[in-house]
Order: sequence, then C-alpha cells, then structure tokens
Amino acid sequence: MIPKGVRGCGDILTKKILYVQTSGPDSPERLYPPFVLASTARAMGIEATVYFLGKGILVVKKGEPQKVQVGSFPTLKEVMDQAVANGVEIMICSQSAQLFGAKASPDEFEQPSKIVGAATLNDLALECDAVLTF
Amino acid sequence: MPERGEWFPRPTKSLDCLGLYCPEPVFRTREEISTVPTGHVLEVLADDPASESDIRSWAKHAGHEVILVEKIEGGLRFLIRRGT
Repeated sequence: MIPKGVRGCGDILTKKILYVQTSGPDSPERLYPPFVLASTARAMGIEATVYFLGKGILVVKKGEPQKVQVGSFPTLKEVMDQAVANGVEIMICSQSAQLFGAKASPDEFEQPSKIVGAATLNDLALECDAVLTF
Repeated sequence: MPERGEWFPRPTKSLDCLGLYCPEPVFRTREEISTVPTGHVLEVLADDPASESDIRSWAKHAGHEVILVEKIEGGLRFLIRRGT
C-alpha cells in the first residue's frame, strides 16, 4: 500500500497553501499575516503563494509596501522581501491592476511578481490544499 | 510540450486576442476552440501578461493541450490542441 502523501514513484507530495489578499492600505493590520503565514509555511516545507486581488494590489505597487508599518513591526516591504527570500510566490490579478489604474505589467509592482488572471486563481484554489483569505 | 526545434502541427484556425485583457482571451479561446475539430490545433495570439498562466489553467481543466507557448513581437503565441 502506498502511504498517504507519497506517489508510487516514491516522491513526497508537497502540500500547498494559497493566501488571497483582498485588503488594501486602509487596513494595514491585515497586510502582514499572509506574508508571515506564507514564510512559516515555507519553513514547514509547504508551497506558499500570495495572490493579490481587488484592493490588495495597491499594497504591492512599487514603493507602497515601504510606507506600511504597524507598531513595532518592520515595514511591510521587509516582511515581503523575507517571504520572497523564503520562496513565497507573489501573484497579482491583472484585472484588479487595471481596475485601480495600474498597468498590468510586472514593472509596476514589487519584484518578483507574476501577473496572472481569473483562470489561474480558480486553478490554484482547486489545486492547493488550503485557501486563506485576508 | 515538445522541445524547441520539434515539429509543430499547422493550426487549423487562428484567433487574435491582442489588446484584450483578462478574462477575454480565455473566453474567446474557449469559444473558438469549439469550432475546430477534435485533435486539431488552434493558434492564439495574446499580449495580456496574464494570458500565459490563464490559458494553461483553462486548457488543463477544459481538457485541451497547450503544445506551444512562444514569445512573439508584442506578445505570446499559443498552439492549443482541442481535446474531446
């Protein structure tokens, strides 16, 4: 019998968590958790993606995360960079970017960001093991 | 997906999605692929940066095969083989 989480060929199936960020700069306390949780997921060997949707895209526009700081926490930029260094993937909804007047181009956003769309989010939600929305 | 330099089937039809943004390229590709016979290939041209992952995601769930994604001047060119 093949143990749970292991394919027949012997490689361990990696778990995946998708974090969807819909909050914007007007609620800074909601902006930290996805990055902190995603970094922790990476430390646990779990694949982690943060998908910015709706007002959430305003947070990752170039130069914006540097402006967010709550209490004694580091800036959002520092937390985001740490998450990226830990292997967290950042995705940005192209239609949300246009909705808020940004060009749907990776150059408009903090790096590394991948511009994706609705089909990708639906696919990610179906393929991953858990979805958390902020 | 075949390696670069491999032979690719000639597309039966071509769809121009240049200038269209999410979710239009996926919607139009879905509509257009229903007009080519099963096993035939649809060519799609798109410049929405989201289209690369979106068309792949859509094709996977819709039962079609993306056999080529290549950069062209001003965008991307997809070859998609219609599944059932």
